[in-house]
Amino acid sequence: MERVITGFVTALRKEGVRVSPGESLDAVHALALGGMESREAMRAALRLTLVKNYNDFPKFDEVFDWFFTRDQLNPSGYEVSDFLGALIHIVEGEQLKSEEHRSKERDEPTFVVDDELTEEELKNLMGMEETDDDAGGADLMVQLDGNRDKKREAAPSDFYMKSPPTMAYNQNQTTRKEAPFTPEELTDMQEVVYRMLMRIRKDVRRMKEMENRGRLHVIRTIQKNYKHGMVPFLLSLRRKRKEKPRLVVFCDLSYSVSHATRFMLLLLHTLQNRLMHVRSFVFNREIVEITDRLRNMPVNCLLETIDKGDVINLDDNSDFGHVFKTFKETYLENLQGKPAVIIMGDGRNNYNEANDWALEEIREKAGYLLWLTPEDRETWPRGDCLMELYGSYCDRVEVVKSVDELSRIVEDLFCTLYDHNDTRVWRRRDRETGPEETYDYRDYYARGRSGSAPAFDPTVRRSW
Amino acid sequence: MITEHHVKELLRSGGYIADDAIATAVFLALRMEKPILIEGPPGVGKTGLAKTLSAALDFPLVRLQCYEGIDEGKALYDWEYGKQLLYTQLLRTQIDSYLTESADLRAAVEKLSAEESLFFSKNFLVQRPILRSFLSEKRSLLLIDEIDRAGDEFEALLLECLSDFQVSVPELGAIGAEIKPLAILTSNGTRMISDALRRRCLYLYIGYPEFDREVEIVRARYPELCDSLTIQMVEFLRKVRDLNLRKAPSVSETLDWAQVLSILHVKQLTPDVVTMTVGTIAKHQADLQQVIDLAGQALR
Repeated sequence: MERVITGFVTALRKEGVRVSPGESLDAVHALALGGMESREAMRAALRLTLVKNYNDFPKFDEVFDWFFTRDQLNPSGYEVSDFLGALIHIVEGEQLKSEEHRSKERDEPTFVVDDELTEEELKNLMGMEETDDDAGGADLMVQLDGNRDKKREAAPSDFYMKSPPTMAYNQNQTTRKEAPFTPEELTDMQEVVYRMLMRIRKDVRRMKEMENRGRLHVIRTIQKNYKHGMVPFLLSLRRKRKEKPRLVVFCDLSYSVSHATRFMLLLLHTLQNRLMHVRSFVFNREIVEITDRLRNMPVNCLLETIDKGDVINLDDNSDFGHVFKTFKETYLENLQGKPAVIIMGDGRNNYNEANDWALEEIREKAGYLLWLTPEDRETWPRGDCLMELYGSYCDRVEVVKSVDELSRIVEDLFCTLYDHNDTRVWRRRDRETGPEETYDYRDYYARGRSGSAPAFDPTVRRSW
Repeated sequence: MITEHHVKELLRSGGYIADDAIATAVFLALRMEKPILIEGPPGVGKTGLAKTLSAALDFPLVRLQCYEGIDEGKALYDWEYGKQLLYTQLLRTQIDSYLTESADLRAAVEKLSAEESLFFSKNFLVQRPILRSFLSEKRSLLLIDEIDRAGDEFEALLLECLSDFQVSVPELGAIGAEIKPLAILTSNGTRMISDALRRRCLYLYIGYPEFDREVEIVRARYPELCDSLTIQMVEFLRKVRDLNLRKAPSVSETLDWAQVLSILHVKQLTPDVVTMTVGTIAKHQADLQQVIDLAGQALR
């Protein structure tokens, strides 16, 4: 019986379900107890002990059905021991089958790597691999992996390397085809966000402890020490800072950054109100505030609304200059405090007015200006990209291509915000350099390195 | 020998219609003495299962409702400071006379610290739910409800309790459970529960029930409703669940609705009936209209 379970667990692991040795032991233990009468009860017992995540259930069922394909072989009412005995036979049978397969493969080697491999054949191959102990297995595995990759969809990794005209074309073509998150994506992201949140929280707690080193809070100290007969064993100190950091985020909705935008929205959704005040805006030509919507709507619904074009017209091309101007005119006056401003976009202005003076005013008002772009630095000088111009106004520009990179940067930002919330500390140094130098695109880069302003460079993170 | 089938019958006698997975989970948890972690949308009977089990098996129910910021003082044990202080006050004269014999201060301190265990004994220990269920004389049912509301630290705290069924009190050492309780943890999935905790539990997911089971649940609870209405009702609710509402109606809503319909002596579902009672199945303003529209189409 142990062999069957081990085989089954290996098959599960191949499908990406994480099963610990302890859990396999539990499964063996559970089956040894007996008392399970039907196949469904068996299935339930294995699932209860081996699979600890709802999202893995479909995979488990798939593997179970394929591993124990024997509706006809095990009519209900079999004793478990008999049943398992039968299973062993069948697994051995499968081994025979796998030998058949191998001989087949020797005859026509192309068969296995054929593109038209069906789902079922792939399964069979997996089965063969499971029960296969000799050296032939390795080759098969390699081929199998090749097939697996084929089944995966091609990722548009080379997308950003395309020339700007093609990109603009693509942008118009694909804006609205983007579907909202799939549930898996959503849970994946939620997990990333959650883990990040946990890490941030730890830092925040530590920072809060630091903050508590102010003057003595007499009343609270007395209250706290009531049970000690007013002997002040436990001190309570006044908090130095009461406000949460503020953040303003602009998200470009055009296709080129849409994935990052989506993640960002989710991130903000989670962080809103918990750790900081966030005001969020989306734009392409027009700019719209979505803070309230983020607060009241599940993020998936919001994305759907955005995709339908209800929030802003998705047919427009992005116009950063116009956006900055509008923002300056409409919102800038009402910004409280000195928020950190994050802009997500590729800086492709579609040859509209740059209006970089507006960005400069935003920068004056903001405590910190961070620009995230998905494009590599080499392609900035090409086409309608104003990244170099805009970049010169920013405290930092980052190239962000994946969710991981984004989460890392945002995490660093939050840590820094919490660490140096005092605006005087994290305000950039005044620009001493002359205007001719400010247009050098390396300017912000050099500033980030040499400046005494808090380094946002993740490599210089303090060692907490 | 008790089987999963018996468990099913037992639950049915308590008015809880279980499917194979639920019955097997309970059976295994009883036999393997492992906790069950139940996940699923709100209102599908996670807590209900625990309550029914406690009644049917005659295990006293010890319930711990989790919330943000719950800690060991609320969940495991606490020292009764007040009582300790009171005792020191009351025993002052005794302590005085006890200590007068000691030659100097050092000896007095030594003498006193030898008796320290007096003040850190089970006498002064307030048992919170987990410890209480461990020390219960009968096998108890420990229900840790909505664990996703509690923080990470609390989860970590539970690891020791749930794997070894013991509570470590620094002053007393580990207190183990004489009779291991049947532990049931529920979660609405608002937060990912850590893998470490999942690994220590049997994992049961209770989703919305199958058609037959849902009809059976309604029948078991409200036998006075006529069959055709029950079936019509459940069919309609299944359609409502497909609507992508903000809060899909759950089993508890089904039962509420059945109760409403039985009070109103409804014999057949019509769009008017649905409009009248829509508040029992849809709980968001935006959802109400969608349900009424669906009723207009589906029940014509």
